[in-house]
Amino acid sequence: MAVLAFGDIVKSYGTTMALRGVSFDVNGGEIFGLLGPNGAGKSTLIRILMDIIRPDSGQVRVFGEPRTRAHLDRLGYLPEERGLYTKLTVVDVMMYFGALKGLTRPEARRRAIEWLTRVELPHVASWKIDRLSKGMSQKVQIAAVLLSDPELCVLDEPTTGLDPVNVRLVQDLLVERRRNGRTTILSTHQMNQVEALCDRVALIHQGRLMVYGAVHDVRRRYSRPEVLVHARAPLPEIPPVSDAIPDGDGKWRLMLEDGAAPADVLGALVRAGAAIDHFEPILAPMEDIFFRVVREGQA
Amino acid sequence: MNRSRKVWTIATFEFLTAVKRPGYLITTFGMPVFMALYAGVVALPAYFATRAAREASVYGVVDDARVLDLRGDTPSERPQIPEEVKRMVDRVGQARALEEELTNAEFIFRPFASEAEARTALANRTLKGYFVLPRDYVEKGVVDVYTQDQINLAGDSARGAFADLLREGLVKGRLADQLSDRVVHPLKDERSFSVTRTGELVDSSVTAEVVRVAVPLVFMVLFLLSVLMTSGYLMQGTATEKENKVVEVLLASADPEQILSGKLLGLGGAGLLQVAVWMLLVVGGGFGIVPLLMTSNIEMPWLALALAIPLFLIAFLFFGSLMLGTGSLGSNMREAQQLAMVWSLMAALPMMMMAALLREPHGIVSRVMTFLPVSAAPLIIFRASTDRAALAWWEVAVSFAILMISTWIAIRIGARLFRVGLLASSRPKLREILRQARLSSS
Repeated sequence: MAVLAFGDIVKSYGTTMALRGVSFDVNGGEIFGLLGPNGAGKSTLIRILMDIIRPDSGQVRVFGEPRTRAHLDRLGYLPEERGLYTKLTVVDVMMYFGALKGLTRPEARRRAIEWLTRVELPHVASWKIDRLSKGMSQKVQIAAVLLSDPELCVLDEPTTGLDPVNVRLVQDLLVERRRNGRTTILSTHQMNQVEALCDRVALIHQGRLMVYGAVHDVRRRYSRPEVLVHARAPLPEIPPVSDAIPDGDGKWRLMLEDGAAPADVLGALVRAGAAIDHFEPILAPMEDIFFRVVREGQA
Repeated sequence: MNRSRKVWTIATFEFLTAVKRPGYLITTFGMPVFMALYAGVVALPAYFATRAAREASVYGVVDDARVLDLRGDTPSERPQIPEEVKRMVDRVGQARALEEELTNAEFIFRPFASEAEARTALANRTLKGYFVLPRDYVEKGVVDVYTQDQINLAGDSARGAFADLLREGLVKGRLADQLSDRVVHPLKDERSFSVTRTGELVDSSVTAEVVRVAVPLVFMVLFLLSVLMTSGYLMQGTATEKENKVVEVLLASADPEQILSGKLLGLGGAGLLQVAVWMLLVVGGGFGIVPLLMTSNIEMPWLALALAIPLFLIAFLFFGSLMLGTGSLGSNMREAQQLAMVWSLMAALPMMMMAALLREPHGIVSRVMTFLPVSAAPLIIFRASTDRAALAWWEVAVSFAILMISTWIAIRIGARLFRVGLLASSRPKLREILRQARLSSS
């Protein structure tokens, strides 16, 4: 069921069109990737969702209802341009953000301490913000957004500047949210994260929705008919393959003829008695799709 | 979470953040200490000057007209203090201090047989000056006055005291004692009354007049001080959010009106607390204003005092929201303060027009200003204080209504400007402000 639905959103800044009728849904309990090059209109769309700016036209529905300010307590937001009150302590800032989402003071304090532990920073609770390193500050910001356990949360580039260990930590938190039925919109330029985490994506370019759907479907849609095979001996010539390109170490990239499916190739290889250890249809990486869409859009 | 709770959350956060700042604590408690030290430094020379002044100045008198019949050093009369002032001083237990203060005469008049002797004494600086009454003084009234060849600011007082001495000498033995006393002190004391438009008698003593003017004046000063002090905190609060990049997080949790109201209450509260602490320190600092007023039986302008608190708060919200809204359009603290300056000047308008208002407290200017949102609050207090009967109840009601509606509109406008200003990295153009303001209302 859709927890968020954008309906024909149009927004302009002066003569610049930021969004030209964008429509898509985000389902409950999924991690949804919001993709697009810089200036595509992602931030504008997120700000419209958060009622920070108003669209020129179009509708936003959340949890099955037209979005109102009352819904904000159920939403979380980590903006791209973000920061914290530098002169205050970590726990005070987290409590304030929690209280703004409707938590009582004691509950906000309890959750702040709990979340600091979860992001492996329990010792910084009483530190002033300006004492934190960039990575620490980033984790505190993420914890401050997640401590109210928002039903729908938008995270704009949450892992920028984090080391691989902390990137994994944040990814685990998002996966856990999905397990708990919470919805996360992940706006990022890191396509490996999209492949690893996202269930579905929407790619916006120049204010238009260019790609929308399940990650696997999108990758398949944009993939060339190609499979990767690891074989112990040279491969026999089989009908559904138009070309076999050696890739070193017994790996072969097999180009499929028009209309052929990977299953046809696998069947033909087995019938021909090929000694294969590994067979994998090659899906286009999200990064390639991103490049292609942006380049085609610009053309 | 309901709207008022969110406003309260923001207000509490802003208030506690502001009052915990070292700068705030230093200003709040350090300023009175600094002012006391400053006053001490300024008062020190004045204290020594007063002590020197307590030693009476000696003036010579050469009485060729034989009017005074001085038989040695003659002190001048002690200064006359109005009876009502004496009574008030007595009620607050300071009569003895006043008595001690007035024990010593200010001048001593010393007789000399000849002008030459007096001149020698003056040249030797044993005299401040001397007066010569020529033989034809009674006929012509001309007195020769000789002084040191340097500036003497007490010269006029000495002449006045000598004139009193002369009056006494001229009538002594020539008129009955009582009549003689009236000639010397024709206005020994006074009882003042004022008649209202309804023919009622009210107290019109000097003290009552002072209180009537002081109430609106104190209101205006405090109000202006609060607006100016608080504007700094309001500007700083907005600039901090822009600098720390927490604006979007806030706007994703509360609407601009809630943020603006919360900031106004929290930071405004911090500013008002500061002014209140200063007031308490002044009142509690031994100046004895309250006991003096409590015991003086002066008819207090109770209506003005009762209206002061609600009017103060509404007017504060009016100016605060506009200052916060316009100030948020600035791209930095300096620009924000420049933009908000116009509202500080508006708040100071009644103060700047005080002289004109005092001449005609219920004239056309006062009446018009009563209905202007920028001046309504101080004008109601002013008019209710100076002449309650001349202020119609409907004028108070209409003025209150105008101020409340204006404040509501100001908060709405302030919130829209605030939303536009918070998200803008540089000062937005007027067309963009209007466009965004229009969109945010839809």
